[in-house]
Amino acid sequence: MVDFLIGLFLASLIVALFTTRLYRLLLWYSMNSLMLGLLALVIGDSLDDNAMILTGVMTILIKAIGIPYILKNLSQKFHFVRQITPKIKVQYAIMLVPAILVFTFYLSEPITHMMHTHANYVAISISALFLALLLMIEHRNVAPKIIGFLSMENALFLLGITATNGMPMLVELGIFFDLLMAIVVINLLFHKEELQV
Amino acid sequence: MILYCITITLLILLAPLLLSYIKVTKMLLLFKRPISLFQGYRNFSKLMHKETIISKEASAITHYAPFLVLSPLLIVLFFLPPVVQGSYYVSFVDAFTITGLISLSTFFLMLLGLDSASAFGGMGSSREAFISALVEPAMVLTIFSVSLMAGNLGVGQAGVNLSEHFPKEHMASFLFSGISFFILLIAENGRIPVDNPETHLELTMVHEAMILDLTGIYLAIIETAASIKFIIFASLFAALFMPFGFEFSIPIAFLIFIFKLFFIATMVALLEVNTAKLRLFKIPNLLGLAIVFAFLSLITFYVLGA
Repeated sequence: MVDFLIGLFLASLIVALFTTRLYRLLLWYSMNSLMLGLLALVIGDSLDDNAMILTGVMTILIKAIGIPYILKNLSQKFHFVRQITPKIKVQYAIMLVPAILVFTFYLSEPITHMMHTHANYVAISISALFLALLLMIEHRNVAPKIIGFLSMENALFLLGITATNGMPMLVELGIFFDLLMAIVVINLLFHKEELQV
Repeated sequence: MILYCITITLLILLAPLLLSYIKVTKMLLLFKRPISLFQGYRNFSKLMHKETIISKEASAITHYAPFLVLSPLLIVLFFLPPVVQGSYYVSFVDAFTITGLISLSTFFLMLLGLDSASAFGGMGSSREAFISALVEPAMVLTIFSVSLMAGNLGVGQAGVNLSEHFPKEHMASFLFSGISFFILLIAENGRIPVDNPETHLELTMVHEAMILDLTGIYLAIIETAASIKFIIFASLFAALFMPFGFEFSIPIAFLIFIFKLFFIATMVALLEVNTAKLRLFKIPNLLGLAIVFAFLSLITFYVLGA
């Protein structure tokens, strides 16, 4: 089950890399976060960790529903460009994505040797980190860059829940508040941009 | 042996029904009054009674090609994984044979398009060549990675192995190859993001453009071939990517299999309603995604073993 969810997590991120429409991108980000939340629920259930179940529920509520909704509202309010063509051509992205995956899978091999449980998940979350970086690189517009940043945060969260068998609750709450702060800051930035225009 | 024959007959009989089912689902979702579920059979019998007219420019190819389009697909039907326990199956036929037979059928379809010497036919053939050339690498990679997980190169044996002990530890790479195969199912059968089977608009035609000049019995054969191609892909998907329900008793196993086929058809119909058709030169992007997922499935299997 965990393998299945982690596969869907990576798959939704890869599909997001090839998306050319903003709302579709938000949908894939929401799917990505939903898979992360379900993963946290499943792992938390197997570890009997109530804190992790709580973070899973919060991930689904905040990241899978809240943030895409806020970003969609923002994009309607500030008339974002909704056609977001990646600046890296698809032909190159098709070669780049497997190259990144192979590279990171081999890169994380020493780490996976040290770990006993969930060894593969570390490799997949590091590759998700790189793919999110690629998502940030390949777009010029602000909105997809934000999505890239948020997916990177998702990847780190995945690393947190799979590699450590559960971080302290306080740290995770802190991350959530950081994220909300980031959204507020982004909102302010848009306001400022609008004033200048 | 009797079960084997029943399976093949069932697949052939179900094939037109499944395509009509997709159409009915789409019409219901678009709030239109749906056609009958048996429209596929009605069309077939209507076309069988019609007079066959062939263009004056057409050569002998037009007389042979419809049969040569249908026959490789009929051969593929014999190589599919078994549906019920105790059924006879061909274990030694691998992915290359099936891909090769399907592309043989596509080759004759393209010849048929070129043969009528109309501008439309040639255009449709060139588009079909373009798409099927891109489908092939992803198809081979996908079926290979599934065969690796199943531990056998033969497609029939792979289906049996998967349903006997499902590779739970390889769930991630299994999922990736499933996504890749679903994209291929849509691309090879000319469903909406790649080709629209319902219109005769120049921009959207791929499959329809090639068979525009056919009438009567030849058109009936080609349409049967299209529906059989869909059921081949659907039953490969059902056997390789939804390997459950094999261990039940024979009638229940058949019912589960038919249910799986209709489930796949529903998924295709939902996708068709929800997406717009891609521009022709955007299709490599979609198929590139299929190649990425197929490759990802292989490297996840090799490097991570997940």
